[in-house]
Amino acid sequence: MSRLVEVEDLQIELITARGVVRAVDGISLHVDPGETVTLIGESGSGKSTTAMGLLRLLPPDLAVLSGKAVLAGHDVIADPAAITGLRGRVAGLIPQDPMTALSPVHTVGSRLSELVRLRHKGTSRRQARLAAKELLEQVRVPDPERVLTRYPHQLSGGLQQRVLIACALAGEPELLVADEPTSALDVTVQAGVLDLLMELQERTGVAILMITHDLGVARLVSDRVHVMREGRFVESGDVEQVVDAPTHPYPKQLLAAVPRLAPKEVPA
Amino acid sequence: MTTYIVKRLGQSALVILLTISTVFVLIRMAPGDPATAFAAPNATTEDLAQIRTQLGLDGSILSQYVTFLGQLFTGDLGTSYSFRAPAFEVVLDRVPYTITLALAAVMLTAVIALPLGIWMARRADTGRETGANIVTIAAQSMPEFWSGIMLLTVFSVLLPVLPSSGFTTWSGLVLPAITVALLQVALISRLVRREMVSNLTSPYLTVARAHGIGERRLVWGYALSNSAIPVLTALGTRFAAMLNGVVVVEVVFNWPGVGSLVVRALETRDYPLIQATVLVTAALAILVQLLIDLLYPLLDPRVRLGKATAR
Ligand SMILES: Nc1ncnc2c1ncn2[C@@H]1O[C@H](COP(=O)(O)OP(=O)(O)OP(=O)(O)O)[C@@H](O)[C@H]1O
Ligand SMILES: [Mg+2]
Repeated sequence: MSRLVEVEDLQIELITARGVVRAVDGISLHVDPGETVTLIGESGSGKSTTAMGLLRLLPPDLAVLSGKAVLAGHDVIADPAAITGLRGRVAGLIPQDPMTALSPVHTVGSRLSELVRLRHKGTSRRQARLAAKELLEQVRVPDPERVLTRYPHQLSGGLQQRVLIACALAGEPELLVADEPTSALDVTVQAGVLDLLMELQERTGVAILMITHDLGVARLVSDRVHVMREGRFVESGDVEQVVDAPTHPYPKQLLAAVPRLAPKEVPA
Repeated sequence: MTTYIVKRLGQSALVILLTISTVFVLIRMAPGDPATAFAAPNATTEDLAQIRTQLGLDGSILSQYVTFLGQLFTGDLGTSYSFRAPAFEVVLDRVPYTITLALAAVMLTAVIALPLGIWMARRADTGRETGANIVTIAAQSMPEFWSGIMLLTVFSVLLPVLPSSGFTTWSGLVLPAITVALLQVALISRLVRREMVSNLTSPYLTVARAHGIGERRLVWGYALSNSAIPVLTALGTRFAAMLNGVVVVEVVFNWPGVGSLVVRALETRDYPLIQATVLVTAALAILVQLLIDLLYPLLDPRVRLGKATAR
């Protein structure tokens, strides 16, 4: 089977007020269908930049990418225009902060219906509405009929994140890029959202590129992990090997600094 | 909701009463005498005194004020000295013209400033955007009598395609509306630009892009509908302000609205007419503002009247 994601020697330079920052400095990774690959590292290590670069979501005038980043057979660095056909359909994004990730003036229903109709052109409004409701059921949103009529500000952070996962699923992607999907949430709802992602993966076989600074999360979900620091991978390998027997001192520090995953709770 | 409206109407009534009372006192303390404006050029002191008695201006300001309030509550705003007709009716005759001009100016502003602001947002911080900014700010900085007279010179004197004054056909609306709109375009287009830039770079837009939403829809469907709230509010507020009469432009173009009426009323010391103009325009502006505030929650789902934002 062909690789879903293949990144080779990716470099990302950001033009900032303080000059050019090399936020990602020559990383290579791959994700196969159905796999979960985790990037773990402290704040500022370049995790989000990697994910956003892969989806070409960095402002073109402020970010310079080089190397190779192949998504479902398309090199989005050599051919940036190719990404428009891949966003949503091949790779969906679950953002870091759900509170700011939904348009304030659109209801959940209108957003989801739009995405359904984008994926399946010619779907009627009624059918799209039904599909939207099904998506909310898939992400275990209680009372989906009611949530469809809600605006983002009327939902809790945990519910917003579930809605965003539903948005990502609407495109029926082969890969979910989850940028710290739980770090902005209350500890009590974090486990529920992670569980949901694992369950969705089991059911649909979607691959996940997980980004976290939490070793507990990494241990729970990953097939492979890459430990990132200052734009480079300092250690890569199977989750057991990196988390439980790190050879590099940096993962050990992360491990010591991070509290364990909270006990499971009822979903938000 | 009803409580909110009642409360707002009560506040508005109070504001209007305060305004009208201030105007009542000020115009009587200002130099000038309605009687001289009224009387024949060779009138004697006795003639003037007699006219003053006729106009009810012989008592103290306080006693005049009490009479005025009494009449006000029966809906009587007095008789205009110069029009010799009920002041309220004289003003009401002019209101449609001012509303027409204000409406035309606001729509023209929107038609120019919206696309311009979007265009500037998409070319933010380029030379061309700076150029557009300079032009609109120059237009805003021109005194309106000057821009009005310039437009008059070009379009009704040099190339006589548009009427220079008054309202006889709809084409008479064009020049005054442009003159008023010129003042607003810079402000509104920069507001549109600022809102659009902040929405185009906001996280929700990046996420929508990641979901596969196309660029055109991101601009017109997402950024614009989120920018619409402050922009429409600003346009509504400009409109409400214009209802007080676009004085200079109305005078330059001899537009028969309340703005030119108030100038005439001041010149002739037509106290009842001044008072009626102030009352009507203030009430109108406040009502429009109330209407805007009532419509606001329809535009912005985060706002509920009289309540803190729900979370
Ligand atoms: N908009 C920006 N302006 C300036 N510097 C930036 C910007 N975005 C990222 N950087 C820099 O790029 C580097 C990588 O940042 P990135 O956001 O990818 O880190 P991260 O690993 O995702 O961190 P976090 O865990 O806090 O999300 C950092 O050094 C950061 O300072
Ligand atoms: Mg990040």
